Amino acid sequence: MRIARQNWWTAGFLAPSVGLIGVFVLIPIVLTVWLSLHRWSTATPFGDAEWVGLRNFDALFSSELVGRDFRQALRNTFVYAGLSIALLIPLSILFGVIVHRAAVRGTTFLRTVLFATYCVPMIAVAIVWSKLYSPTEGPINQALGWFGISPQPWLSDTGTALISLVFLNVWQQLGYFTVLVVAGLTQIPPSVYEAAALDGARNVKLLFKITLPLLRRTLLFCVVIALINAIQVFEPVATITQGGPVGATNVLTYHIRQVGIERSQGGLASAMAVTLLLALMVVVTLVFALMRKGDDR
Amino acid sequence: MKRTSRYVALLLLAVCALVVAACGSSDDDKGATTASGGGSGDKVKISFLTHWAPETVRSFERITAAYEARHPDVDVEIRAVPFADLLTTLRSQAGGDNGPTMASIYDLWLPELVRDGVLSRAPEANAAEVQREWPANLAGAASVDGATYGYPNEVDLYALNYNKALFREAGISAPPRTWDELIADAKKLTKKDGDRITQQGFGLISSWAAGTVHPFTSLLYSNGGELIADGRAALDSPQAGETFDLVDQLANKEKVSSAQMSTADANTTGPYLENFVSGKTAMIIMANWWESALRAGMRDRFSDVGTAPIPVGPSGDAPHSVSYSWLTVVNGKADEAEQAAAWEFLAYLNSPESGEAGHSGMAGLLQSMGILPSRTSDLEAYRGDLDREFLKAYVEELPNAKPFPIVLGGQEFTESLQRNLEALQAGQMSAGDAQERSQADAESVLESAAG
Amino acid sequence: MTRRISMSRRAALLSFMLIACVVTAFPILWMVATAFKTPDEALQTPPVWVPGSPTTDAFSAVGDVIDIPRSFLNSALIAGLTTAGILLTSLLAGYVFAKYRFRGKNALFALLIATMFLPPIVTLIPLFRIVTQLGWDASLVGVIVPNLANAFGIFLMRQFIAGVPDELIEAARLDGASELRIVFRIVAPNVLPAIAALAMFAFVYHWNSYLWPLTVLQGNEQASPIVISLARLLTYTGSAANTPQVMAGATLAVLPPLILFVILQRFFVNTISRAGMTG
Repeated sequence: MRIARQNWWTAGFLAPSVGLIGVFVLIPIVLTVWLSLHRWSTATPFGDAEWVGLRNFDALFSSELVGRDFRQALRNTFVYAGLSIALLIPLSILFGVIVHRAAVRGTTFLRTVLFATYCVPMIAVAIVWSKLYSPTEGPINQALGWFGISPQPWLSDTGTALISLVFLNVWQQLGYFTVLVVAGLTQIPPSVYEAAALDGARNVKLLFKITLPLLRRTLLFCVVIALINAIQVFEPVATITQGGPVGATNVLTYHIRQVGIERSQGGLASAMAVTLLLALMVVVTLVFALMRKGDDR
Repeated sequence: MKRTSRYVALLLLAVCALVVAACGSSDDDKGATTASGGGSGDKVKISFLTHWAPETVRSFERITAAYEARHPDVDVEIRAVPFADLLTTLRSQAGGDNGPTMASIYDLWLPELVRDGVLSRAPEANAAEVQREWPANLAGAASVDGATYGYPNEVDLYALNYNKALFREAGISAPPRTWDELIADAKKLTKKDGDRITQQGFGLISSWAAGTVHPFTSLLYSNGGELIADGRAALDSPQAGETFDLVDQLANKEKVSSAQMSTADANTTGPYLENFVSGKTAMIIMANWWESALRAGMRDRFSDVGTAPIPVGPSGDAPHSVSYSWLTVVNGKADEAEQAAAWEFLAYLNSPESGEAGHSGMAGLLQSMGILPSRTSDLEAYRGDLDREFLKAYVEELPNAKPFPIVLGGQEFTESLQRNLEALQAGQMSAGDAQERSQADAESVLESAAG
Repeated sequence: MTRRISMSRRAALLSFMLIACVVTAFPILWMVATAFKTPDEALQTPPVWVPGSPTTDAFSAVGDVIDIPRSFLNSALIAGLTTAGILLTSLLAGYVFAKYRFRGKNALFALLIATMFLPPIVTLIPLFRIVTQLGWDASLVGVIVPNLANAFGIFLMRQFIAGVPDELIEAARLDGASELRIVFRIVAPNVLPAIAALAMFAFVYHWNSYLWPLTVLQGNEQASPIVISLARLLTYTGSAANTPQVMAGATLAVLPPLILFVILQRFFVNTISRAGMTG
């Protein structure tokens, strides 16, 4: 097809997507960066923003309350993400291997049950788990009692609140990551396993020496997705803990929204968003670099 | 062929436009006011944003229906959001065309809303009415720099709530009147199972700004202290130090208070309420409006609830509860006709015309939730009801209550104090550190809010 | 690929799988069971697991607090219209990226794909301000329009459309078909599984989406999707005695995506596998 004609179609077909993403994603990114250098109340038009240079960033890294709260939120967010990933990856490998390779019936059913949790609205998950975690009326503490374990404070104590949310997150996302792992497993040719079997390799050794290395790319991809999902955690914090107790579950999405919308401090919130974005970019670049290094091997 | 591609591009645009138009038009009956609404219809549409529960909203709708019958050219819509979302809703909608015309706000939010220019000043007649019909401190809470911005509606204050049955069981005849008595009584009323507190003598609320800070403030005021004096934070005073010490004693030294038993959730209910209702908390300082929640939860055992003035501290002379109020304001960004209609409606709502037996429609709504109205004539009209046992301590202390300081950065100030108190209550900080930190944080918040 | 395993191994594996299923399904089962409990049963400590005398009172009570049909309608509108938009825009753009050549194509594609990794909170505030300035705040338009194009959708479509044989397309062109016709008559039918999967991902995601509708719609009960109404239900029924009501609301909110999933799950899973998601 002639190039000139193709250009019309290119423009026409790309216009909706590029236009929408340009206006509603790219421009806001630019605005966030621009606003982070200004003092601006979210209730006022962009034109009212006042230039303050790097003052917002100074505040975020200072020892003042604003900085302390922000760093706590940043810390909480990455701890939450880290713990979630630490649980999700091994568990999804475990279940992925079972679903993909186990010689028993019912693996599809297991996969269905696991994946179903991903479709449940997070708000419903948060509400249900908050009742499950109830120190006195919740079944979890009751069940722990059957095994002789004393009731845990779960969401009411600074030490356990964040990890309670991590469990919730892992529960919801495990199915999704299991399916991703299965997808990665299907890409490994069976001949690899046959060769290994001929060499007398046993199951566990097989897993670590053959399967995992070949799953590398999949797993690194999962890490990135899990990280991005974890950063977006909002409903459990907003409806159940409100960032407490004592800020133990104050995560960035909640904190930025509180500062930016409830307190109308648009400039400060934008500075927080920019910092988050930079931190994320660093981590994702590292992960992709690892991926590429592995490929070279 | 070239024509076809242009045709296609146009078609795509048309489809997009149709979709947008379809979505837009399906929203027009939602009663949202639009900036261009002036010329389009005969009716002026005004909306009222509140955080009240559905049953109260239904009663409110009866009032608006009565108003609409009298004023066929006005359409009043009620918008209800959960309390936790109220401030966010207000702030995010304040700058837009579809924002609510009227909103019920917490007095602490007033200075910033005025500073951002989103509120409408009350016209002469309405402002004069507010000054005339309301007690001075409440009319003051609805004004900034001498200009009135709304009609005060509810007033709230705190009192010591205690469980009479538990008191009897522990052999205590009367509620504590001083801090020493408070600690002594709390010790007698605390039961433990090993290290775990199963019944706490005194509940210290957390995870909720007002719930954590207001009781503290009441104790501080009853110890002769201040939060903010002459525009600067006054948490470094010896009186404040004694108050932080008291919290430390209750939570950490004497261990008569369990952090886990008194957390609150997003809707201001939660363990702190449930534990008092089920008799696991013997004493707690709380506001008058939780009466309906107590009644609903305790049913017959509600008669076990006693209320008393705030215990007085060593440096204090008399009990002083903290008080705060709510007011109804008007959106300064709505157009002329809508603002005028809104002020007229508010005058009606807050006058005896909208209610029965001499009270206003607003007071009727508030009383149905067990909340105190603030208009002088309403307090008169409800005199008989306000005499009931639960409310007695509150109503009697109302004249002695001191308002929570209304300043720029007030909400943030409250939240910073909340965090430090929670850390103290959780044993993460010493009382001295909590005081120092609170003062430093308060100074930082007030400074950046003002500048 | 499977290997023979011993009976005891098999039994152990099956038990493990069973436990995993039970633990995973437990919260949902508990939610549904609690929805049928009476307020007294909900308050009991230690908790009651199975309602003694199941009642649907909680469900009717939910209807008193929130407008269920309206909320479902709003959710359907948001999820449906957004999904339709995403399918259309992704199909067209995916076709261009897969089959055309033009200067800057790879750079543009990389830019778009980079936005896949953007947490929405980063752009929430300015985006909200933009939507407000456009006059779309407090309405469904504001919720839907910014999401009508999606980088992930473009990525997915490109991956799959790349697999459609060029000869097929060329043949159609020689026959005089316009590009539009090619996209809808030749390409789309050949990537149906991917379209189905994208449709399902997008629908479920936007049905469950909370933060953006919350930010845009606040105060407008009429336009609230079921997830927002559910949060509102939680507020007005805070005390523990009302847990059955809250669970009843949650049960209702969970049903549509879950049912959709059960019907279409084959597509979901197969497409993730085939999409080369890992690459």
